[in-house]
Amino acid sequence: MKDVPTINVDRGPIPFSERIYLGPIVKGLAVTLRHFLRNLFGHRDVATIQYPEVKRQYSERLRGRHILTTKEDGSLRCVACFMCETACPADCITIVAEEDPEATVEWEKKAALYEIDLLRCVFCGYCVDACPKEAIIMSRQHEMAFGAREEAVVGIDELRQKGPIEDQDLGYRPYF
Amino acid sequence: MTASSTKSSTQLPDAEALLPADAVISSARAADGHTELTVDRSRLLEVLRTLKERPELDCDLLLDICGVDYPRRDQRFEVVYHIASLARDHRFRVKVPISEDDATVPSAYGIWKAADWFEREAYDLFGITFEGHPNLKRILTHGGFHGHALRKDYDPGQRWLLTEEDSMVPAWATEELTDEDHLESQVLNLGPSHPATHGTLRVVVRLEGETISKAECEIGYLHRCFEKMSETHGWNQVIPYTDRLNYCSSMINGVGYALAVEKMLGVEAPPRAQAVRVILSELSRIMDHAVCLGANLVDLGALTNFWYFFQPREEIYGLLEACAGGRLTVSYARVGGLAHDVPADFEERVRYLLDYIPKFVNDVEKLITTNKIFRDRTEGIGVVSPEDAVAWGWTGPCLRASGVPYDVRKAHPYMGYEQYDFDVPVASTGDTYARYLVRMEEMRQSLRIIRQAIDDLPEGPVITDDHHVALPPKEKVYTEMEALIWHFKLIYEGIHVPKGDAYSFTEGANGELGYYIVSDGSGHPYRLKVRPPCFAIFQAFPHILEGHMVPDAIAILGSLNIIAGELDR
Amino acid sequence: MRQPDGSSSMLTTRVDAMLRWVRKNSLWPLPFGTACCAIEFMSVVSSHYDLARFGAEVVRFSPRQSDLMIVAGTITDKMAPVVKRIYDQMAEPKYVISMGACACTGGFYRAYHVVQGVDEFIPVDVYVPGCPPTPEALMHGVIKLQEMIQNGETQYDRFKHQELDTTA
Repeated sequence: MKDVPTINVDRGPIPFSERIYLGPIVKGLAVTLRHFLRNLFGHRDVATIQYPEVKRQYSERLRGRHILTTKEDGSLRCVACFMCETACPADCITIVAEEDPEATVEWEKKAALYEIDLLRCVFCGYCVDACPKEAIIMSRQHEMAFGAREEAVVGIDELRQKGPIEDQDLGYRPYF
Repeated sequence: MTASSTKSSTQLPDAEALLPADAVISSARAADGHTELTVDRSRLLEVLRTLKERPELDCDLLLDICGVDYPRRDQRFEVVYHIASLARDHRFRVKVPISEDDATVPSAYGIWKAADWFEREAYDLFGITFEGHPNLKRILTHGGFHGHALRKDYDPGQRWLLTEEDSMVPAWATEELTDEDHLESQVLNLGPSHPATHGTLRVVVRLEGETISKAECEIGYLHRCFEKMSETHGWNQVIPYTDRLNYCSSMINGVGYALAVEKMLGVEAPPRAQAVRVILSELSRIMDHAVCLGANLVDLGALTNFWYFFQPREEIYGLLEACAGGRLTVSYARVGGLAHDVPADFEERVRYLLDYIPKFVNDVEKLITTNKIFRDRTEGIGVVSPEDAVAWGWTGPCLRASGVPYDVRKAHPYMGYEQYDFDVPVASTGDTYARYLVRMEEMRQSLRIIRQAIDDLPEGPVITDDHHVALPPKEKVYTEMEALIWHFKLIYEGIHVPKGDAYSFTEGANGELGYYIVSDGSGHPYRLKVRPPCFAIFQAFPHILEGHMVPDAIAILGSLNIIAGELDR
Repeated sequence: MRQPDGSSSMLTTRVDAMLRWVRKNSLWPLPFGTACCAIEFMSVVSSHYDLARFGAEVVRFSPRQSDLMIVAGTITDKMAPVVKRIYDQMAEPKYVISMGACACTGGFYRAYHVVQGVDEFIPVDVYVPGCPPTPEALMHGVIKLQEMIQNGETQYDRFKHQELDTTA
């Protein structure tokens, strides 16, 4: 074996000062008492977040529920290229493509159906990385609970961006 | 990586000359620094024994045994052994091809005790029989399972149901004992849902009075088919799966996997990515040790420490979330670097953590380390001698607590660990208390590494610009045709890893975390075998238990830090 | 709390409402933690989030003493009979929160050894998505369950009335 710098952590037999319990116990009590008093008078160490009244501020990279972004006219940016569906390790995205009847150019596709099974989704962000149009991004909305499995399969209407992009609670997306 | 492999090659003896004559069909130096030997089945034990016993070779550590299935070959299966010498720093990969009709190989259990569960795993998942194995039965899948899941012709989604009647009790547990000596004896089942088993471990013990006279573990309650899933997903898609192996320190797994693929591709992550990987890996190691010690202390009745350890953990989670977007399952590493650059306040936050974490480590130290009750409960309990630890294939903090200073970060530095100054904590007693002390010191050493890495954090990109490997930056994808084409190709076809195999290993929180990868040149792994450190450690558990009492068993189990996700995969 | 004819008197509705109020504020969880989600569950009960504020601090590993089962983590085919038995051992009324993608649907493990959702064999009241869900998400799930208990919408309420109807 190569010579590696080691540090020996053995403590040897219990010395008399530790064997009589008293010293270590006083030391331990001092630690807990210090925390107790500081919490009692200073409120400096209280770690508890009073959810749901107070919420923890997560960073703008948090991977929460997905948003399908829209163009200025309110239609989806998604061109149904199936990149997110391919990149998804959980196969939780279902897309059905159709010809866009309102497109100004020919052969423009759009998503007729875009469903995400939020209970399958592992929130890895691979769909966001894969999207070449920034059509799918993630919000910071992570507090979700469903009463039935069917409720968790969300479609275009639920996922569509609501209001201007600045008002969204933006989470994981290509730029930060 | 390359530096270490060239170093070991200079020390390597001419293996073929030392091995029995004509026993080796072929031998070669593999690109990953291993000496690869192909051996016929009839001479296997002879070769293995020589590898272990010849002083020039001195291979004392059996790391892994796995099967690989090649349905198109005449000899369909290949059993692959990974063997290392701690003293001489060289490594061997022994391959034994066998045919489907006669899929048997002699068991290596007589040479290395570590072969025990690894052989059972290969039996379970490939149907390869190991002749002479003392207890060859399924280990990961359940009693109602048919077929062998990792064979290529096994459908990944084919499930088999288990009924409650098949409770998987070892044969000795149901034997009727009439002997007078056994009047006091009873069988006790711990787990798989038991507060002290932290997950899904199950131990069946026979008690003589209060002393455990025999024990057997049943694992596989969290077998999530990682290896089969990786065969059906692209190279980059495997990274979210690796996060869920050792979920207490998910960053380390992702980085280890990315390094393994990078090794095969011959690319290297940029220096900034390497430094950030080191910082986050070491923070993950601290978290892992904090959970391990916190949970261990809860089992011993010291609840306060659990709360103290969870405060810095939450802070580390906050940092990981700010970097990667996920608290626990980060999915931050990518082949060739990292998914994104770190946030602007990264350095500041890491420095804050460097001040914050020691406070809580010191608090726990004051509460516990000199506490006589704790020492009485842990000293001399679960003693493992260095010889036994190596024979069982132990690595990591548990091995170091037995006095063997083996640490992959020192022995085979990767990711720039050679430039950091840190010590390897060792203890000599090998008991539960020693494992506690080693982990406490390792947290401090990790902080030392982080301090050096953050002082010296290089600027620059965090992912390689090789577009065969990494997605092009988004602004280019939106504006340039070429980048868009690369983007499409990488998403649809994935990375193309050249044909071949490699074993890459890193220091996980529990020991040597190895990835053995076989690629057939397509967009997804052909075979991906994880060498989980817990697996080797936990197989020794029933043997350590003998002669201890049930409360001791809880203390020992907690100190081994068995993470079910990594154990069962 | 219903009369045999299906109607209910004022007294029993009041008692019923009070019982529900009592039940929702003293949920004793049994954490059936198997994997990553169990680590997040630890965060939920530890100092930063402190589930005790919702009357659910008494984490019990004995099914006899708990009324809320939190399935946290992947359930494999090998584990399924164990979950089923522990659920059966719990005293009524009992509720189930399925925490995380694996417990809800199997997540990204569409594999040979993984149960594709615990609702294959036990009734689930609340599904919490995420892999693993953030502590807030789980607490949100607990709050939702409390509302469901108050409104009598849980699986337990559903099955209880069904049983009454069949005997009537």
